[in-house]
Amino acid sequence: MKQEDNDDISKLLRLKRFEQPPPEYFENFLQEFQHRQRAQMLRDPAWRIAIDRLWAFFGEQMPARIGYGLASTAVLVAAAITSFHILEVQPVAEVATTAAPGPAPAAQTASLDFDSQVQLPNLPAMTHTASFSQPRYVMDARPVSYELPSSF
Amino acid sequence: MADAAPINPDIELVARTQDGDARAFDELVVKYSPRLYGLVYNMTSNHEDANDLLQDVFAKAFRSIKGFRGKSSFYTWIHSIAVNMTINFLKKRGRRFQMSLDDVDLNIQNDKEFIELTASSSPVREADLGELQQKLNESMLKLSPEHRAVVTMFDIQGMPHAEISKILGISEGTVRSRLFYAHRQLQAYLEEFRKK
Repeated sequence: MKQEDNDDISKLLRLKRFEQPPPEYFENFLQEFQHRQRAQMLRDPAWRIAIDRLWAFFGEQMPARIGYGLASTAVLVAAAITSFHILEVQPVAEVATTAAPGPAPAAQTASLDFDSQVQLPNLPAMTHTASFSQPRYVMDARPVSYELPSSF
Repeated sequence: MADAAPINPDIELVARTQDGDARAFDELVVKYSPRLYGLVYNMTSNHEDANDLLQDVFAKAFRSIKGFRGKSSFYTWIHSIAVNMTINFLKKRGRRFQMSLDDVDLNIQNDKEFIELTASSSPVREADLGELQQKLNESMLKLSPEHRAVVTMFDIQGMPHAEISKILGISEGTVRSRLFYAHRQLQAYLEEFRKK
C-alpha cells in the first residue's frame, strides 16, 4: 500500500469529525446521566459495585498479556490441586469399601453363609498395590490362577 | 530553578470524587463526554447506541472510581473503559442494527482537507455529503470492532500511537499493524471516493 493511498484514506476518515450530535445534546447529557445514576443506584446489588471496584483496582495499567498469564496460571494450579486430591482420595475410598469394620446386619450375615465352605488361601494383606493386581477366580477352594496350565 | 510541572486538574477532580463529592465527577463528565461520544459514535455508527453506551461508561467509571489508583491518567482510564465496553457491545450486537447518523456540521465546507478533497476532478466533489457520510460509515462497519477502535482513535480523533497502545493495553507495533490492515481494507471500500 502506497503512502499516498494511506494519506487519502486518512483524509477521508478525518471528515467524520464533522458528524456531530444536535447542539443541545451535551447540555442535556449531564442531566440524563444524573437521572439514570440515581435510578441505577436503587437497582444495582452491592456485589456488582464491589466487582467494578476490584476490576478498577487490578485492571488499571495491567497489560492484557499479564492478565492472561495470571488467569492461565490460576487455572493450572487449580487443575493440579484437583488432580492431586482425586489421586489421593480414590484408593482410600476403595479400601474403606472392601474392609468395612463393624458387625454386618443380621440379614446380610445369613446370606453370606457360603463363606464357611470356601477355604481361602492365605492371601497377603490387602494393600494398594494388591488392589490393582489381576483378579483371581476361585473354584473348589483354590484360585484358578494358582493352577498350572498342564493340570487342565 | 525550573518551573514546577503543571498539575493535571483531573487528579484533583478524581480525588474529590473519591472523597464523595459527586459534583467533581460531574465536571469530569462535562469535560470528557464530547470526546468519548465521538469515540463511541464512530465505532457504532448509531446515535442512540452511542448515547446509551456513554451513559453506561460514566456510570461504570463512577462506580469503580474508588479503585482508581492513578497509575495511568484518568484520560487513559476512562477511554479504556469506553473502548472495552463498546467492543463488547459490538460483539453482542453482531449484524443486527441500523445506522442512525448524526448530522454533518456545515463547517465542513471550510475545512482545509475537505476543500482539498473536493478540488477539481475529485470524485468527492460529485458525491453529496450525505452519500459520502453513508459510504464512510458503511466502510467503517465492515472492519472488526478492534480495527474500528484503532482507526477511530488514530484517524478521526488524532491520537498518537503511544496513547492508543496504553488505552488498548497492546504494543505500539500492534497498533501500527492494525492500522495498516484496516487502511488496506478501507482502501478497497472507498476506492470510488479517493483522488484519481
